[in-house]
Amino acid sequence: MGDAFGAVREPPSASRRVAAIWRRHAKVYGRSFWTNATPAVLEPLFMLASVGIGVGAHVAQTFNGLSYAAFMAPGILATASMFTAAFEATYGTYFRMKYQSTYEGILASPATVRDVVIAELLWCASKGVLYATIVGIVLALMGYVTTPWALLIPVFGFFNALATAGLGLLMTSRLKNIDSLQVFFTLVVNPMVLLSGFLFPVAQLPGPVPAFAMSLPMFHAVETFRLLSVGPDHVSETWFWACPVALVAWAFVLAFVGGRAFERRVLSER
Amino acid sequence: MIADTLNPSLSRAAPDPVVDADNVVRRYGAFTAVDGVTLRVERGECVALLGPNGAGKTTLSRMIGAVAPRDGGGLRVFGLDPWADQTRVKSRIGWVMQQDALDEDLDAAENLLVWADLHGLTVERARARSAEVVKLLGLDGREGSRPAALSGGYRRRLAIARALLAEPEFLILDEPTTGLDSQVRHALWDVLRRLRDGGLTILVTTHYMEEAARIADRVVILHQGKLVAEGAPGELVRRHLRRYVLEVRADEAPDPARIGCPASDVRRHGDRALVFHDDESVLRAAVSQCAFGTAIVRPSSLEDVFLDLTGSSLGG
Repeated sequence: MGDAFGAVREPPSASRRVAAIWRRHAKVYGRSFWTNATPAVLEPLFMLASVGIGVGAHVAQTFNGLSYAAFMAPGILATASMFTAAFEATYGTYFRMKYQSTYEGILASPATVRDVVIAELLWCASKGVLYATIVGIVLALMGYVTTPWALLIPVFGFFNALATAGLGLLMTSRLKNIDSLQVFFTLVVNPMVLLSGFLFPVAQLPGPVPAFAMSLPMFHAVETFRLLSVGPDHVSETWFWACPVALVAWAFVLAFVGGRAFERRVLSER
Repeated sequence: MIADTLNPSLSRAAPDPVVDADNVVRRYGAFTAVDGVTLRVERGECVALLGPNGAGKTTLSRMIGAVAPRDGGGLRVFGLDPWADQTRVKSRIGWVMQQDALDEDLDAAENLLVWADLHGLTVERARARSAEVVKLLGLDGREGSRPAALSGGYRRRLAIARALLAEPEFLILDEPTTGLDSQVRHALWDVLRRLRDGGLTILVTTHYMEEAARIADRVVILHQGKLVAEGAPGELVRRHLRRYVLEVRADEAPDPARIGCPASDVRRHGDRALVFHDDESVLRAAVSQCAFGTAIVRPSSLEDVFLDLTGSSLGG
């Protein structure tokens, strides 16, 4: 032990602290990996079977040269990487903050509230990578992923989940009661999925709805994953490149805004 | 701080306190939880913050332990502002939070390893230190248990093991034995005394007078956010009260003139009357003269000091 002022050991760096929290989340997730990963594989299969193939059998129209099943399949990459982050950033963080003393314990260590928030965002984004990869492999095996662009699917799984995590943390930062999360999923998450162009082209919607729908991050995510799955020939030609850029921009904006709001919430209770 | 790092002999010649609090204030809305506390904790000292629930001891310890901000006053821990420089300060503190704050999603061994990771320890060092603290706290065989599967005593042992893992210079424990049975409590006091005797600086909050008296070198009594007295446990009693006390029902309070003590040494608190005197035999004589319903003669305690200073009981 040193004297009162000479530090005995250098304190851990911010990246080391964030990595430690991330590893903590990964360790907890890994304990029940198969319980978590099995629905991740099965859910897209159910969606494809019921909507893509089932409903698709009654859809004669093609979409930029794609059958209905091939049109909707890439959207599953967007919903899977979005939902995992949406749950983690709301129920997951709220439990760690309120019902378990997870943050209380972590914040007794050299970690700061900001470290906790950054680690949550990165953890959600990492789950987006995992889910996009798993679903991408399943879709590729079924023949719905047909271009080498698909190698970028995990990268955009990261950004899609990061955008969602930011939104989720923003919600959690306002949350007074866990039941209110139902409202978030019913009034924000689900409408965003329905307006994302995942099940039908949003351009067919009336009035100002398409313009609104096309501004949302989920629309950009669906278009991006369609581009990465089947290539630029099958995507609405004029601005296919704009969607990946917009998704990344949304990810940074929402992660920053949601992260700041959530940081203030955790700090306000200390 | 830089000067001291460059010239460690200088700071050794004039040792600075681990904690130097000057008029520290913390408010929650209109409620002032800590109302201008000035306090020093010297290196190697074990200090108990004693007070009833709501006295401000948890809030004060959290400000000192760099897990909560303050609203006013000066505060230095290891010469640093604990909230502004929390990473540096917390890397030198072992925290045992109220209700343990263990990670319920991880087993005991993982709780220790994640803590080591948060402190930046290498994997080998983390394993070695885990084995040491498991042995020190008698947690052998419980490494694979989740906190929820452990008894209250073993949860607390795990929380203390975790706090000691990264070799802290300063241990803070917030009500370490609340809710534990007396056997477990004595075992934990033994652990804390050993750590204190090993030179560790310790700050412990408690509402148990006995706990403060048994482990602390110095007791700081808090009441409604203010420091009302401080000193070594025995010294506090001697300074504030006569050595012995006769305790009777309030309606049987004896006439001070009959006992031969000043009226100010007879005090009423609720349904009890206390008669203080330095000579135990005088009080014993009073017991045999008067026909009290119930009467106890005993040495004055910290509890009496607390009652005397605040007019309220320490409670449980």
